[in-house]
Amino acid sequence: MKKFAKWLLLVVTIVVTLGVTGNMNTKADSNTPATDQYLSKVKAKGELVVGTSPDFPPYEFTKNINGKSKVVGMDMEISKKVAHDMGVKLVIRRMDFDSLLVALQTGKVDMVIAGMSKTPKRAKSVDFSNVYYKAGEDLVIKKSDLKTIKSYKSLAGKAIGAQTGSIQYNLVKNQATKSTLKGMDKDTDLILALQTNKIDAIALDQPTAEAYAKNTDGLVAINAHFKDEGEQGSAIAFPKGAQSLVNSANKSIAEIKAKNLIHKQYLPNAGKYLATGKSKSAKAANSMWAYKDFFVAGVGYTLMISAVSVVIGFLLGTLLALMRLSKNKIANGISVSYIEFVRGTPLMVQILFIYFGLGLVVNIPALLSGIIAVSLNSGAYVAEVIRSGISSIAVGQTEASRSLGLSRSMTMRFIILPQAMKNIWPALGNEFVSLIKESSIVSIIGVKDLIYQSRIVQADTYRGVMPLLITMILYFIMTFGLSRLMKFFEGRMTHE
Amino acid sequence: MNNETATPVLEVKHLKKVFGKNEVLKDINEQVSNGQVICLIGPSGAGKSTFLRCLNMLDQPTSGEVLFEGQDLTKLDDKQLDKTRENMGMVFQSFNLFPHKTVIENIKLAPVKVKGEDDATATATAEKLLKQVGLENKADAFPASLSGGQQQRVAIARALAMNPKVMLFDEPTSALDPEMVGEVLKVMQDLASEGMTMVVVTHEMGFARNVADKVWFMADGYIQESAEPKTFFEHPETDRAKDFLAKILEA
Ligand SMILES: Nc1ncnc2c1ncn2[C@@H]1O[C@H](COP(=O)(O)OP(=O)(O)OP(=O)(O)O)[C@@H](O)[C@H]1O
Ligand SMILES: [Mg+2]
Repeated sequence: MKKFAKWLLLVVTIVVTLGVTGNMNTKADSNTPATDQYLSKVKAKGELVVGTSPDFPPYEFTKNINGKSKVVGMDMEISKKVAHDMGVKLVIRRMDFDSLLVALQTGKVDMVIAGMSKTPKRAKSVDFSNVYYKAGEDLVIKKSDLKTIKSYKSLAGKAIGAQTGSIQYNLVKNQATKSTLKGMDKDTDLILALQTNKIDAIALDQPTAEAYAKNTDGLVAINAHFKDEGEQGSAIAFPKGAQSLVNSANKSIAEIKAKNLIHKQYLPNAGKYLATGKSKSAKAANSMWAYKDFFVAGVGYTLMISAVSVVIGFLLGTLLALMRLSKNKIANGISVSYIEFVRGTPLMVQILFIYFGLGLVVNIPALLSGIIAVSLNSGAYVAEVIRSGISSIAVGQTEASRSLGLSRSMTMRFIILPQAMKNIWPALGNEFVSLIKESSIVSIIGVKDLIYQSRIVQADTYRGVMPLLITMILYFIMTFGLSRLMKFFEGRMTHE
Repeated sequence: MNNETATPVLEVKHLKKVFGKNEVLKDINEQVSNGQVICLIGPSGAGKSTFLRCLNMLDQPTSGEVLFEGQDLTKLDDKQLDKTRENMGMVFQSFNLFPHKTVIENIKLAPVKVKGEDDATATATAEKLLKQVGLENKADAFPASLSGGQQQRVAIARALAMNPKVMLFDEPTSALDPEMVGEVLKVMQDLASEGMTMVVVTHEMGFARNVADKVWFMADGYIQESAEPKTFFEHPETDRAKDFLAKILEA
């Protein structure tokens, strides 16, 4: 125990020391000469990994280009320039807006650009470049409401939607106090909510609002008339202390501003991608068939994650069940705490913890993190199923087996487990079916499973419901197929 | 009847077994010699099953010694106990056949897995034993398709397959329909006459009277009487035994 305390102290000391050193760097302004290793590391890798949340046109959004979903938009052009100026390749990582800063802090990405406003709160955990763009706030509303809604003030008693964690979210919260605030992760979900009358308006920044209004029938953008709360506009986020990267980006931004590239080149380019949204050829591209590869890939990932997790979860579950039933107090204690803890915490948090939390110690890719989390989770549930199966076998079976000279483990292997499996087969089947469904949550860390792909298709096509319907059907085919398969084996077992 | 030989096959000294506060066995001291058939009788809850289970250590005695061929089983570790149990067959009231295995698989399991016998030898032995208990045509049936009497005969064959030195029976006929009791008792009687050492917990007084070399009467945590069947049934000494016999005869 003492030894452990000593270690803990050492670790804490190191962390605190590092933290203090980090803080010293952050006090520096943008002209500070850099002494850190970030830029040289990026150069050594030969690539700049950029995190973004591509549902924010015209800043960043996805476009189906020759059957591949590409992230395009003003921010991507800026990123290209920043990477180019550093002399490295640009690599884009998509994730939820809320996960971006965590990904930055845990070293999953080198920089984050996502139409993200520079706020004092965010600046506490990351370093920002200079502001590259500043726009006002708009409301997206239905054309039919144009007469009644003039600003946020007209929305008293109504619901306003905003992207969770965004500037607009806070503006609505602080100023539109008479309205209900509905936060969602994705702009595409917000648009869908507006179209289906779940909300009456969406607070978005001006270029985004205009992009959606232009590309969606029946929607318009109006000025929200929020009071200025001292917003600074959008900037690029870097890890704390990455002054070398900040400096390099600021140089690129200065050049962009000097040449007015955003208005002359980047925004018009983004507009071109968006403009195709209503043309005939775009309609064809937006048919679900054009996205079949996305769904196929999604099903592939979902099946792969599920299959691997079923196997690992089953082995782990068996081990935990045996530990739980063993007379060894330590084994029993470990098993009980594990099972209770895992079953008592949400899978979503476990996935985030493995990806971001363990990511601090070892760098585990998203897919592997997802598989690990789902396996560990399923192990706890399977353990309980197996334990109940083992307990359901009459003690007489054990006694008969032991009286014949079979050891404890042989009895388990040849007598108890085979019978237990047969009894719990249906429950095990249910467990595996729910595993397929619950694995969908890995999409939050950017694993390209079926849900993730359907999100992309939604964002690409501006169609909210159809991709969801297809996704639902695909999940059903998978789960129904699995339960038929389990039934088939069950039949074969009882045939004996 | 058999004479007592040098070392007894089984011997218990000051055997005591307590469940929580329930003193089931208080102080048992008995011997079983080679080839002897013992019938253990007594009222329900007397501790007969517990005693039998202490003999092959399915239940751990609270104190005292259980000697098998002179070796104290209470001092052995798990591995040595597994080894010893090979030599002590046990037959249960509820048969306890393995329902996921066929009759012949039930019988072959222990010889193959524990003794490492090859399949052909184990099969030959199993077939011989099935013939001995009159079930040679049921080799490939599953236990669920057999009658109780047939299941119990398979259970006896399964125990015999390990070629044990002692057979322990815990009320082998109590769960059977009356018309099937005879077929099982017949198999046991044959075993006895072949010289098998047996400890039988039973309520079949006829069997005890005709087959046993000795009757032990257990009540209140002690073996109250240990006598030849004729003596016990005709001249029981203790009031406890008299009561018990009177009730049995009434029924
Ligand atoms: N595992 C156990 N835990 C606690 N008490 C037990 C256990 N096994 C047996 N007992 C108790 O020990 C006593 C003797 O039980 P045992 O089964 O040995 O009696 P028995 O003589 O075989 O009776 P029967 O004729 O009904 O089979 C009973 O009071 C029973 O409740
Ligand atoms: Mg009993």
